[in-house]
Amino acid sequence: MSRAGLDLARAPIAVIGLGNVLLGDDGFGPFVVDVLGSQWTFGDEVELIDAGTPGLGLATYVSGRETLILLDTVAATGSPGELRLYRGEELRALPTKPRVSPHDPALGEALAMTALAGSAPREVLLLGVIPESTAMGTELSEPVRRAAALAGELVPRWISRAGGQLTARSGRHFGDVWWTRPVRAHVARS
Amino acid sequence: MWRGIETILRGRDPREAWLFTQRFCGVCTTVHAIASVRAVEDALKLEVPLNAQYIRNLILIAHALHDHIVHFYHLSALDFVDVATIPEADPAKASSIAESLSEWSGNSKPEMKKVQDTIKGLLGSGQLGIFAHGYWGHPAMKLPPEANLLAVAHYLQALDVQRKANQVVGILGGKTPHIQNMAVGGVQNAINLDASAALSMDRIYMMKDLFDEVVPFVQQVYFNDACAVAGFYADWFDIGEGVTNYLSVPDLPTDTASTTFDLPGGMIFDGKVAGMKPISGARDEAWRKGVTEDLTHGWYEGEGAQHPWQGTTKPNHTDFQDDGKYSWVKAPRFEGKPMQVGPLASVLNAYAAGHEPTRRWTDLALSKASAIAGKTITVDKLHSTMGRYVARAVRCAVLSELALRHWELLVKNVTGGDTDVYNVPTFPTRPVEGVGIHEAPRGTLSHWVVADSGVITNYQAVVPTTWNASPRDAHDVPGPYEAALVGTPVADAERPLELLRTVHSFDPCMACACHTLDVEGRTLATVKVL
Repeated sequence: MSRAGLDLARAPIAVIGLGNVLLGDDGFGPFVVDVLGSQWTFGDEVELIDAGTPGLGLATYVSGRETLILLDTVAATGSPGELRLYRGEELRALPTKPRVSPHDPALGEALAMTALAGSAPREVLLLGVIPESTAMGTELSEPVRRAAALAGELVPRWISRAGGQLTARSGRHFGDVWWTRPVRAHVARS
Repeated sequence: MWRGIETILRGRDPREAWLFTQRFCGVCTTVHAIASVRAVEDALKLEVPLNAQYIRNLILIAHALHDHIVHFYHLSALDFVDVATIPEADPAKASSIAESLSEWSGNSKPEMKKVQDTIKGLLGSGQLGIFAHGYWGHPAMKLPPEANLLAVAHYLQALDVQRKANQVVGILGGKTPHIQNMAVGGVQNAINLDASAALSMDRIYMMKDLFDEVVPFVQQVYFNDACAVAGFYADWFDIGEGVTNYLSVPDLPTDTASTTFDLPGGMIFDGKVAGMKPISGARDEAWRKGVTEDLTHGWYEGEGAQHPWQGTTKPNHTDFQDDGKYSWVKAPRFEGKPMQVGPLASVLNAYAAGHEPTRRWTDLALSKASAIAGKTITVDKLHSTMGRYVARAVRCAVLSELALRHWELLVKNVTGGDTDVYNVPTFPTRPVEGVGIHEAPRGTLSHWVVADSGVITNYQAVVPTTWNASPRDAHDVPGPYEAALVGTPVADAERPLELLRTVHSFDPCMACACHTLDVEGRTLATVKVL
């Protein structure tokens, strides 16, 4: 954990939260990453990354992993807050589109690019949540917040099964993330 | 761009605005962090220590190197490179061409053979993967098979190189893609040359090792490939001129007050490069007064132009109206005129200013492209789609030199005993206005903040893509994309590769802006409106 995001050594297990924390439920991935980091201490073989919306840059974080666990919102039929699990084969079959900018979501491309370069992850899991609202805002909806709690219990098991070391921490509350804290303007008068 | 961000920032502490603004866009995170702290510092007239300037500059340079490499190889090279011809290439010939041009170690014959075999396997499998959407066999493709092979070999190498550039951002910023080390007044990197947790000599030299791998790739591989594409596709120097008013801001400050810079900025009107007017910095009065955003054709309440400090964002979505409101993009104007921003603007302004590295790399690029094209390509040909590709490579080469310079400046300063990284901000009990400027990979970025008694009361970001993708203004004058796409020839209407070339030449940040229409009004791509 001390090396999270530094990329000095590639941890074989990466948990990557995707989404924009300023767009309501789109912040699910980064939110769950924060939950995991506040509830567990992980060994050096595990890297937690709040990757935001890296577009084509996702390949950078995907490359060279053994196990990749992705957390994101998905457009799927169902009710808000329902979780869906996808595996590598389904994700590799995602269609790629001609892109206008490097910013469009690029999971299919990141997997294809790393496959071509010989650095594709061996195992890929994507835990997706069906959002209620992705309008501008810093709060998760109630159903997605509940889904985040469930994800916070599922993901550690997968990390453990993939060979990652983890120890429970105490002291921090669930989901006390900086972007959802209320405005508390500071006044420092001169 | 990020429309309505003021609703999230209003009432917050200006010192934490950068944490939110770097979430505008997942690709351009660091640029919005740094523009934000600079805006608040400008409002407070707060200087930042030299170490903080150098650390920020190194982050900005490393980010730009990463970003330009990805743009060329992973976003746009396939507009010019036909993977389907690679099986016909002679790997030995490809290798000898490349080795005659540079000392880069990745151009050996075995390397070329390996890449050719990979591509043959891919084509044979029918599973084209990442290349499935290339325009193979398109009549507008012109590179010889050996050049295509070299380009794809470098495409693969670039995946590794861009990651190394990104690691520099991680070392200084604490994390990527969202850096953790910014502060209004400086940076939060504790400098301790002996400690492992702080910015130590170990880490400083780790950065140097990374630059030592990235810089040669930029100067010997990316730069040469861009020149080759320019030479083989020299007709693209006559296409996609668009708006020839150019705007860039100075960047890479070298003093605590941000009055001297390693990259000059300025403005050019009507393509008159020799008549360039410099912009001296964020406090330049012409710059501060000159920027407005026009709402006439945007889906927002209101008409006419607003200065960003008085800017509002109240969505008012109507259907597509040809002569009315037709875009989520506001129309930024400078002194009432549309401006092109990006590496071309930055390079032309620096060229006109006599900036030595910019002149040297530009002249070298044009001579290399001319040699391949068999005709002389001059600076005035840069007002074009290909000019934007060449200028990006020139800027990247210039930045790669400046990476080493700013690394040396930092080392010299800290080994001289200066460990200051932060000046404490204090907020007056009256409204103050500030602008933070950054010449980002996609061009001029400015954040405009108004704060009163330590609380944000307004915040607007005017981002590069809104300059370039801007709709028409109240006088019906089109923005750069719209103007550049008019007159771009299309050989095959079903596969409008040529339009992509021109759009890609601007390197759009469409997550921040909105959607692009071609000249017939057909949607090229639709992206989420933020």
